[in-house]
Amino acid sequence: MEKKPDWLKVRYNQEAVDEVAELMRDLKLNTVCKEANCPNLGECYRKHTSTFMILGSVCTRNCRFCNVTTGKPLPPDPEEPMNVARAAKKLGLHHVVLTCSTRDDLPDGGAEQFAKTVRAIREVCPGTTVETLISDMKGNHDALDCVLSSHPDVLNHNVETVRELQKAVRPQADYERSLGVLRYCKGKDPTVLTKTGFMVGLGETDEQIDRLLDDVLAIGCDILTIGQYLQPSPQHYPLARYATPEDFARYKELALRKGFRHVASAPLARSSYKAWEALEDVHDLY
Amino acid sequence: MEKTMKIPKLRPEMQNGVLCAWLKNEGDEVKAGEPVYEIETDKVVNQIEATDSGVLKKQLCEEGDTVDVLSPVAILETK
Repeated sequence: MEKKPDWLKVRYNQEAVDEVAELMRDLKLNTVCKEANCPNLGECYRKHTSTFMILGSVCTRNCRFCNVTTGKPLPPDPEEPMNVARAAKKLGLHHVVLTCSTRDDLPDGGAEQFAKTVRAIREVCPGTTVETLISDMKGNHDALDCVLSSHPDVLNHNVETVRELQKAVRPQADYERSLGVLRYCKGKDPTVLTKTGFMVGLGETDEQIDRLLDDVLAIGCDILTIGQYLQPSPQHYPLARYATPEDFARYKELALRKGFRHVASAPLARSSYKAWEALEDVHDLY
Repeated sequence: MEKTMKIPKLRPEMQNGVLCAWLKNEGDEVKAGEPVYEIETDKVVNQIEATDSGVLKKQLCEEGDTVDVLSPVAILETK
């Protein structure tokens, strides 16, 4: 294993983790923090935050960067929307991030479960903002309409990597389709904040990153996250490099100069890490 | 009272981890919440915090050792 750079150190406290893990177990809920082996789990759980992963912990796709298990998922749990809302209330969350495993087996890609969960949160936790970090739902407009009908505050969908590495890194997805999802959602509901993110360290060049920023900005995307790719295991897509904190600062400056409204760019920045900060920042700009 | 610190299971499929550094020496005072040692996993280096305050009585592994999940790593003398 290559030696980790000094900036890839995180704190972990078992008691704090157990508290949130127990709540999730009791309510039969999953978090992407756990399923994706997120390096920020210790910090987020300690602060009583987490990103709910609805529609089960098994994914129908096999993206080579991702730690989530591939297989045949179970049908959606009808209790899940209300259980997520209960957990959000118990944790005292003022901003809830919902994500999912990609459910190509469901005709709507899980859109209805997203909408039901957003509505349940609104009912149980009035005033709480909600971010839906969705799969591409195969670009199905009816499915995207269903998610949008629940009026999430933020519609997030990750392009994950530059155009040139899509096939190698996420073979069942498509760069244009992902851009299309974000473009469609913004066009359909201009009041929704759109957000995307990508990883650095998969072998992309600075020129390719520059083009990605232009592509994403051109579809009216408001918020951007940029983080280091961390290889979950030797079987996953190989790590090309560790970008330095200075590299991330440079990417952030470039993205802001191009016109993004909020950019989170740091080695351990993740799509939903401190997601409320982006929302607060962008709302201040209105 | 003696309390055994164990290597946490940092991810569901984790079997073991490399103890890459001690951040406290034997005899050092440790406050709950302070990092005591570092475990390297595939993604990051995890600084493991003490969940109790006390004195680090005994280190049970050396830096560089591969240690199984939930096996004892240190003994903490708590008050």
